[in-house]
Amino acid sequence: MNYKSGICTFCGTGCGHLLDVRGNAVCGVFPLQNHPVSKGRLCVRGWNVHELLNTPEKITTPLIRKNGALAEASYDEAVSYLVDNLTKYKKNSSDEIGFLASPRSSNEENYLLMKLARSVVNTNNISLDSDPGHRLSLDVMHRGTGMAGMLGSLEEIAKADFLLVVGIDITKQNPIIGSEIHMAARAGAKLVVIDTRNTQIAKLSSRFLQIRPGAYRIAMAYLAKVLVNENLADTDFIKKYTDGYDGFASSLASLKEGDVAAKTGIALGPLQEVARDLAGSNAAMVFFSSGISGFDRDTISYIYNLFVLAGKIGREGCGVNPLTGINNLQGSYDMGIAPDLLTGFQPLSDAAVQDKFNREWGVKLNSGPGKSVYELMTGGNRLKALVVVDHDESIIRNVDEISAMDFVAYIGAFQNNFMNYAHVVLPIAAYVETDGTYTNTERRVQLSKKKVEPPKDILPGWKLIADIAFRAGAKWNYGSPADVMNEIATLTPNYSGISHEKLQGTFGIKWPGGAPRFSLEGTRRKVSFVPTGTNFAVPVASEEYPILLSIGESQHYWHQNNLMKKTAIPLREYNATLLLYPQGYVAISPQNARELNVRDRFPVKVVSPYGSMEAMVQVTDKVKPNTAYVAYFVHEMVTRFFLEHKDVLKRGEDATIPVRIVKV
Amino acid sequence: MYIINKSQVLDIARELQKEHQVYGPVMEKETRQVMFVAVDDIAELDLSAPIPAVPPKHAVFPHFERIMSYTYDRRNKKVEIKPDYDEKPKALFGLRSCDLTGIQCLDRFYLGQEFVDEVYRNHRKKMFIVTNTCNAPFRQCFCVCTDSGPSAHEGYDLNLTDLGDQYLVEAGSEQGKKMAERLSLSKADDSHRKRKEAIVDKSVSMFDSIAKDNKAWISRVVNRVTTGLIEEKVWEYIGDQCIECGACAFVCPSCSCFNIVDPVTGIDSADRMRTWDSCSYEGYSRMAGGHNPRKPVEDRRNKRFFCKLSYSQSKKYLRPGCVGCGRCAWVCPGDIGLPNVVTYIRREIQE
Repeated sequence: MNYKSGICTFCGTGCGHLLDVRGNAVCGVFPLQNHPVSKGRLCVRGWNVHELLNTPEKITTPLIRKNGALAEASYDEAVSYLVDNLTKYKKNSSDEIGFLASPRSSNEENYLLMKLARSVVNTNNISLDSDPGHRLSLDVMHRGTGMAGMLGSLEEIAKADFLLVVGIDITKQNPIIGSEIHMAARAGAKLVVIDTRNTQIAKLSSRFLQIRPGAYRIAMAYLAKVLVNENLADTDFIKKYTDGYDGFASSLASLKEGDVAAKTGIALGPLQEVARDLAGSNAAMVFFSSGISGFDRDTISYIYNLFVLAGKIGREGCGVNPLTGINNLQGSYDMGIAPDLLTGFQPLSDAAVQDKFNREWGVKLNSGPGKSVYELMTGGNRLKALVVVDHDESIIRNVDEISAMDFVAYIGAFQNNFMNYAHVVLPIAAYVETDGTYTNTERRVQLSKKKVEPPKDILPGWKLIADIAFRAGAKWNYGSPADVMNEIATLTPNYSGISHEKLQGTFGIKWPGGAPRFSLEGTRRKVSFVPTGTNFAVPVASEEYPILLSIGESQHYWHQNNLMKKTAIPLREYNATLLLYPQGYVAISPQNARELNVRDRFPVKVVSPYGSMEAMVQVTDKVKPNTAYVAYFVHEMVTRFFLEHKDVLKRGEDATIPVRIVKV
Repeated sequence: MYIINKSQVLDIARELQKEHQVYGPVMEKETRQVMFVAVDDIAELDLSAPIPAVPPKHAVFPHFERIMSYTYDRRNKKVEIKPDYDEKPKALFGLRSCDLTGIQCLDRFYLGQEFVDEVYRNHRKKMFIVTNTCNAPFRQCFCVCTDSGPSAHEGYDLNLTDLGDQYLVEAGSEQGKKMAERLSLSKADDSHRKRKEAIVDKSVSMFDSIAKDNKAWISRVVNRVTTGLIEEKVWEYIGDQCIECGACAFVCPSCSCFNIVDPVTGIDSADRMRTWDSCSYEGYSRMAGGHNPRKPVEDRRNKRFFCKLSYSQSKKYLRPGCVGCGRCAWVCPGDIGLPNVVTYIRREIQE
């Protein structure tokens, strides 16, 4: 049988597929019918994964920069060069060196990279760059329930009779989850979409509320307030299972109802009906994006509290569900890819946790908290050395800081813009060339088995990292990724009991302990309402900057297309839009187009208080008058416009920028 | 007509294996998914397995294949083109009749018109086909609505029908007959034929109770699709549900559209790759210069169902483009597999 089962590694859905393996090549792909999440479906990315695996744009040999240009080097030369530099910067590791890990790497590879950084190089400066928004979701879920992950289950979408989709173009970002939601709606569930744009899922919903950019928080707070005002909150549930209600109630008390309609752009009547439908449902779920277009902490807190208030967590068909856009984003946090976290959300600052890791690893960990690479690069100190693993290109917005560094190492399977700044490049095997586990958005840990041999002299990531550690003096002893998982399971309560042996032949095990969803029964503590702020300000357009610009992603411009660009069919889909809009586009409403006297594809300048960019307009009724939308794949934006808006983007507010659009 | 004992039926595949790469239904052990794949170990073949998830299309039209390579000689300004044909004889064993019909549609597209596709012809030319009658339908089947089952009428070399302890073996070609004789199969008589007819009749009668997932009275909508009288809002309703994944085309036994890419392999050389394409993709209908006659997704969906259901297209295939396997309904993330689309159009007619 030449079809071998595996896990799609594009987005956080974690669909099952069968790869058509012939000789040492993957020649095709087919969906896996019995997979509990994807049930025989794949999206455009998943259907063309073999094209990525056949790309000639792989890194085929170690490279060292000599006289300004990357030149082929032997493995020994390259790895020694890397190890020498790690040793050099280790002396002042807290300030000078950072590790940028990948939300695409397997759990095993991320765990070892984390262990290398902390236990060998003695730094806690390790982070992800892509989708930092997920951390906010995890913080809120963890604070509220003790579980740092999605509270519901993708398998149970069909069991919910009320589905709320907030600010996520879900049929583009996680298409198969979008499909599950659509199917549930067709079977009778009430589907409510709140979004700034008239997305596909909005068209498929039973109620679509088009909200003004940046007003999600106040809308969520108002829904909660309606539950309280109309005595629709699940008081039995609140009494029995929760604490912190009073704090939340006092936040809600400061919400002025008179402001809501004007700030959200939605009449109160429909919002009240949504709140009543939520309260009246048997089981309800909410979905939102945990990515760059995701929410700030306060908005997530309001969403979470709303569902606790309605008693819609901890039961079948219920849950608060932040969705990850990249395959192992959840797993990366689980593996402690954050300066302040060890595996399974165990805080580095906890002395008992530190002791446990010190004992198991045979080291004395640096207990200083560490910083994210992003903070280190932009926080004033000069980071001198950076180790980057298999990464998207969003970091290119920090191109100035990266080119100023003394040493940059890039480790990855595919060619990437990062190589332009690297002093040493080390190739690793692609995901089908080694074993590894990946944790999807619903905490499902799935094993992806090796299907083809890596090219000669190219090591799998786990082996390369282990070799780097060995050369730097550590005595690690892993014979396989399965050994790595055994160590993870020993150190991580959430992953306890998970092993490759157990995962073999299954469609994954959800942590903790195979629980389908967050459960009220097994927990020792009560569920908490999380603290919420009372700042209900929304970004306001002014006469000078009359249009509110929001930022998102699109199906074929997915995470800067680092991977899509290396395919044929998805590349063509990418080019279809890029050929029409070579500098990217800013979507505006037909009304604004008339006012500006522009038609589709006319060039315009987008001006904000902080900077400007040129782009073509896309005239579409998907956006409301006086709002605009940019898909963030646009190179121009990523490099400059984003740079100029770092602070705005950091504030969250679903990344809304008031702008003026002028014809050029 | 011949008879073979059930325990010996795989001998046909073993005999074929001597000169062919045999393809057939195999159940993947871990996931229990049935796939129609190339086999080396004949014992893996399972004639009683449910209809394979993947149709046999990939045997004649692979998902992704190199069809030629070329090099340019700069000094002499000469191009050398090397076709990359897969000339190995192939045998499709245990094919369901819907899937055979799919191959016939592909034949008419790739071979039956003024231009003959050499790549396809090489996959197809030395082929031996053994079909397998469906004694009972599966849940998603509607071949009775598309005249493509439950038993094959033509186009096979051998057709098998499970009679209980034996298989009836019908020869549909000279090479089929030779194979039966080479295996010294005993002759069937009229009673065997009658048993087969009863089995096929019974299978047809079971569609009501078993094949409940899909109903597609396609004859009712052919006229409507051909004349293009369907209201725009029906296509919009369908288009709104399309997430543009391409799956319906990929699993369709008769979908033949492909894309060509030329990855560069050296300074003066490149390969030519052919990959499955789908009319659900926006880039599929985009022309050089950026104009796209079918930019909205509903216009491309409209195209797909025109291809499967219109009379004009049927004239090319000499039958409807849909073969009634129901796979598009299986894989669709929306709810717009062909049977549902037929339902939506019929609903509009009734209104």
